[in-house]
Amino acid sequence: MWAAFRAVFAAIFADRAAALLLLGAPLLYAVLYPSAYAGEIVEDVPVVVVDMDRTAASRDLIIHAGATQQSRIVASLASPAEAERWLASDRASAAILIPEGYARAIAQGRSGQIVLTGSGAHLLRSSSALGGIGAALGSTAREAAFEQARAAGPGAPPAMQLVTRPLFNTREGYGAAVFPGVAFVIVHQSLLLGLALLAGTARERLGAPLSVTPAQFAGLGLAAAMIAMVQVCWFAGFVFWWQDYPRGAAPLWQVLAGGMLFVAATAALVLLLASLFRTRERPLQLGLGISLPLFFLSGLTWPAAATPAPVLWLARLFPTTPGLELMVGLNQMGGSLADYAAALFNLAVLAAIFGALAFWRWTSPRGLPALPVRAARDLSGSA
Amino acid sequence: MSVFARISHGFARELRFLARNPWDLALLTWLPLALCAIIAWQLSAGVIRDLPVALVDQERGALARDLAIRIEGAPGLRLAYHAQDMAEAERMARAGAVEAIVLIPREVTARALEGRGQITLFVNAAHSAASSTIQRELAGIIGAANGRVAIEQMAAVLPPGTVRAAPLAASSAIAFNAPASQEQQLVSLLHPALLHLLFMLAVVSAFGRELRDASVAEWRPDLAAMAGKAAPYVLAFMVWGALATAYLAGLRGWTLAGGPALLMTGYLAMFVAYTGVALLLVGATRCMSQSLSLTGLYAGASFAFAGAIFPVDQASSFAKVWAEILPFTHFARLIALDWVSGAEASVAAAPLLPLAIITLVTGVPGAWLFLRASRSPQDWGRR
Repeated sequence: MWAAFRAVFAAIFADRAAALLLLGAPLLYAVLYPSAYAGEIVEDVPVVVVDMDRTAASRDLIIHAGATQQSRIVASLASPAEAERWLASDRASAAILIPEGYARAIAQGRSGQIVLTGSGAHLLRSSSALGGIGAALGSTAREAAFEQARAAGPGAPPAMQLVTRPLFNTREGYGAAVFPGVAFVIVHQSLLLGLALLAGTARERLGAPLSVTPAQFAGLGLAAAMIAMVQVCWFAGFVFWWQDYPRGAAPLWQVLAGGMLFVAATAALVLLLASLFRTRERPLQLGLGISLPLFFLSGLTWPAAATPAPVLWLARLFPTTPGLELMVGLNQMGGSLADYAAALFNLAVLAAIFGALAFWRWTSPRGLPALPVRAARDLSGSA
Repeated sequence: MSVFARISHGFARELRFLARNPWDLALLTWLPLALCAIIAWQLSAGVIRDLPVALVDQERGALARDLAIRIEGAPGLRLAYHAQDMAEAERMARAGAVEAIVLIPREVTARALEGRGQITLFVNAAHSAASSTIQRELAGIIGAANGRVAIEQMAAVLPPGTVRAAPLAASSAIAFNAPASQEQQLVSLLHPALLHLLFMLAVVSAFGRELRDASVAEWRPDLAAMAGKAAPYVLAFMVWGALATAYLAGLRGWTLAGGPALLMTGYLAMFVAYTGVALLLVGATRCMSQSLSLTGLYAGASFAFAGAIFPVDQASSFAKVWAEILPFTHFARLIALDWVSGAEASVAAAPLLPLAIITLVTGVPGAWLFLRASRSPQDWGRR
C-alpha cells in the first residue's frame, strides 16, 4: 500500500504537467481568482441625469444622488433620448430623469415624481446604482417633507420601515459570495485533471489497462485523498483568511470532518474517471470545460428553487454540488454538520458508489499476468 | 499546389483525423452541446420565483397575517415556514431551507400607528442572486402595506390633511431588459464562455498533437495548411455560436436589439483571436499537455474577469490588465452593446478592434514559433 502511495508522489514530482495541475494550480488560482473580485462591492457606477425641472429642489436631488458611494454622475443631459443613447452605448449604467413640475408637485403637497432607469446590460451594476440613488432619495424626501410641512402642516410618517440585515456574508461582497464555493470546484478539477493525466500516462506506457492489488488501490486512494485534503486546508484555512472572506464559522473538527467526506467522494470519482483514460492529454481536453457548469450546478449563484427538478438530480451526481453546500455552510454560514444531513448523505452515497466502481475498475485482473507489479513500477517509473 | 489547394488539403486532412478519433470529435460535437444544454436548461426559469422565506411572528396580530398573505402572493417569494423564534429560523437559513427571515417584532402595530414600526428582513447574502430578488420583493410588500395602514388606520386617528402621499415617488425600470431576467444576461454570456474554452482546447490539441506525434514530418505545414487545419474548428464553433444565439434570441425570445450579423462577426473575431493564442501556447511550449494546462489557466477563469456580471473596475490593476488580454472580455462587451442595448453599429463594433489586435499580437509570433518547431525534429515528441 505504501509503495503505491509513494509511487503517486514520485510520479507527480517527476511530471511537470501533473505538478502544475496538482500543486501549482491551487497556488495560482488562490491569487488569480480573488483578484477579479477584489472590488467586492459595486462603486462609482456611471449615472447620467436629465433635469427638465431646473429648480432648486431638482438640483438638490442631483447633488444627493451624486454623493452616494454606489454612483457617480458623469453627465447632465438635455433630453431623455440623449440619456437612452448614453445607456445604449454603455457609457452610463443608469439614468435619473426629473420631469418638469417636480418641485411644484412637492410644494403643493403631492408626490414629486422622478424616473430611474437602469441598463439591462449590467443587471448587478445598474441595480446597485439604483439602490444607492434610492437611499439618497430618502434624505431628499425628508427635506421635501419639511418643505411641505411649511405649507400644509407636518405630515404623518410612513407606518413601517423595512430594515434589511445580511446574514453570513455580512459585507455583501461578491468575491465573498463566489470564491468560497469556487475554491472547492478548483480542488475537484485539480485532482481530477492531475491524477487522470498520471493514470493516462501510465496506461499509455503499459499499453494495457492498469491493474493493481487491493492494497495498492488503497495506497492510490489515500494519496489522492491526502492531496485533496491539503488543498481543502489550504483554501479553507489560509486563503479565506488571507482574502478576508467570511470563514471558520463552524467548529474546526466539523469543518475537517465535512472536508474529509467531500474529499472522499471527490477522490473516489477521480479514481474511477482516471481508470477510463488511455491517453495522457485526454483528461485535459475533456475535463477543463466542465468547471463552469459544475459551479453553476452547485446552486450557489442560481438558487435551487429556480432550477428544474431533473437538473437538480443531475447536479447531485457530482461531489461538488453537496460539497459546496456543505463547505460553504460550515465555513461561511456557521452551520453545524447536523444542518447538512442531506448533503452529508449525498456525499457518503457518492463516495461509496464511485469508490466501489473505481475499486472494481482498478483491481479486476485483465490482460498481462504480472500486471500488479508492473503497474506499480510503471506509476513510479513515469519519471 | 496553389494556396487554395493547400488550405483545402489541410482542411480535409483534419476532417479525416476527426472521423477516425471519436474523442477528439467529441470536443466539437456533443461536449459543447451537452454543456450548453445543461446551462440553458438550468437557467430556463429566467426570473427567480418562489424563494422560500421563514416568518417569525412575535406579535401574532392582524399585521403579521396580512404580511404573510402578501408574501404568499408575491411571485418571487414563498412562505415556507412559520418559525417559533429567531433561533429556529436561523437554523433553517443555515440548512438552506429558507433564503430569508422576516421578523415581525412585538407591538409593531401600535408602533406603526406612531410611524415607528420596524420590520426586519434577514437575507442570506451568501446567495447573491436570491438575496437581491427577496429584498426587492419585500420592499414592495412593505410599501403596499404602508399605503393600506395609512388609509385605514392612521387617517382615522390623525388630523385631516396630514396623511398624504409620500413627498417623493420614484419609479424604477430596467431599460433593454424589462423583466430584469437573469436568463438573458447569464445565458448569453455563459454559452460563449463555454464555447471559447472548448474551442481553444480543441485548437491547442489539434496543433499540439502534430508536434507530439511527430506527424508534422509527414504534414510539412505552411501558413495556408495551418489555416486549413484550424478551419473545421472555427466552422464547428461558429455553428454552435449561431445555435446558442438562435436558442436564446429565437426560442426563448430575447430579441437581438442590434443584429445577428455583428454578433456573428464578433464570434468569428473571438475564435480567430483564440486561435492566435492557441498557436502561441503550442509554439512556445512545443508540448501538448503543458499548452492544455496553460489553456485552462488562461481561458478557464475568463467568466470572472470579463466584468459582465461583477465589475472589474475596482479590482487590482493586474486584474484589469488580465481582463483586457482575454478576447472573451471584448466579446462580452460586444454582447452588451449589440444584443442587449442595441447601440449603433459604429459604437457596438468597437470591441472588434481589440480582438483584431490580440489576434495579431499572438497569432504572428505563434505561427512563426509553430512553423519553426515543425521543422526541428528535436522539438517533436515532447510530453
